[in-house]
Amino acid sequence: MSGKGVVRSIKNYAKGFSDIQIKVREATSNDAWGPSGTLMNEIAQATYNQQDFIEVMDMIDRRLNDKGKNWRHVFKALLLLDYCIHVGSENVVLYAKENLYVVKTLKEFQHIDDGGKDVGANVRQKAKDITSLLLDDARLNEERHKRTQMKDRMTAVGDY
Amino acid sequence: MSYLSAEKAESELAQSIKKATSIEETAPKQKHVRKCIVYTWDHRTSAIIWNILKVQPVLSDEVQTFKSLITVHKIIKDGHPNVIKDALRETGWLETCARSVSGEGVRGYGTLIRQYVDLLLHKLQYHRGHPEFNGTFDYEEYISLKNIDDPNEGFETINDLMVLQDRIDRFQKVVFASFRMHSNNECRIASLVPLVEESYGIYKFITSMLRAMHKRTDAADALQPLRQKFNTQHYNLLKFYYECSNLRYLTSLIKVPNLSPDPPSLIDAATPTLP
Repeated sequence: MSGKGVVRSIKNYAKGFSDIQIKVREATSNDAWGPSGTLMNEIAQATYNQQDFIEVMDMIDRRLNDKGKNWRHVFKALLLLDYCIHVGSENVVLYAKENLYVVKTLKEFQHIDDGGKDVGANVRQKAKDITSLLLDDARLNEERHKRTQMKDRMTAVGDY
Repeated sequence: MSYLSAEKAESELAQSIKKATSIEETAPKQKHVRKCIVYTWDHRTSAIIWNILKVQPVLSDEVQTFKSLITVHKIIKDGHPNVIKDALRETGWLETCARSVSGEGVRGYGTLIRQYVDLLLHKLQYHRGHPEFNGTFDYEEYISLKNIDDPNEGFETINDLMVLQDRIDRFQKVVFASFRMHSNNECRIASLVPLVEESYGIYKFITSMLRAMHKRTDAADALQPLRQKFNTQHYNLLKFYYECSNLRYLTSLIKVPNLSPDPPSLIDAATPTLP
């Protein structure tokens, strides 16, 4: 475990985060690699549980409102939200639509890192993608449907 | 969703407003403006934003005044619909802004401020007359359906929208004319960001609504003046967006819309829909 990882686990303990919140924090951490598919899937499945759903959304919300220096939090929270919109419970979609402004206002997110590189572009693009997806009900339903189908096909393989 | 206590949220909001309207001649930072916008959605009101603006000493400095106007414009545009109602009560403050700077001002923001206030007042006036619109003029289908049932009202709505579009065009010319050599003009360019988005929203709206009206009514002749006006505005916008696409600071922030060189046909529904 790297130094940052240790600090994160201490924070998790000190602030008394629940297991699922710790998972969300890990998925949206400041590490330079993306959240793993398994982890995102676990979180998305947890949204079918009402209590976990609230905790997941609360944490994503905090990550989305993080400051520019932590642009990776914001970006990965968008990735995770996108994933949950696709395979999570219907509640995620309802919640995301209700709070669309949180994502919508990220379309002008700006941050120049120490190297003078504009790292906000990723966030802006992702925010645009999610906004247009949420506004297009037909496409949203189709994509969610496709994901369910794919999942059914994949699980069917194991039955042979 | 907000997990802060009311006082904490309020003091954070005051901080954001203070930073967004700081004295430096730069663009109002989006992160601070965003905080204000998110606040209006969380609390469904903007009353406190106006109160804070009034106690900040923004009117003593023309850059601060100008930045406040940009911030206010963005909040009206992207904030909760209630913001428009609140803003309609605060037109007096906007007028004070216009009076606060005499002549050209020390740093040349005088005309800009007065013209900006003019535009904002006109925009608010439009919202007063047409409460069914939101701040961004998103094309919502039900509005077009509502208005083509009554061609007279539809005609009126489009006509008023076109007047507003002309106002935006006039103001963007003032902004471009105010650019100075030996300066990155960032603060001035920042005011173009909401203008590009708003003008495109209006453009899309007018296009969709005119198409719908052409489909519904057979009186193509009666709509001739609107078509003519539409074509003129298309070329104006084309020019505006072309000039914007040369501003690197602006294109790094938003995608400037790419209009076709010629106005799209309003009668032939087979033409591709807008991006």
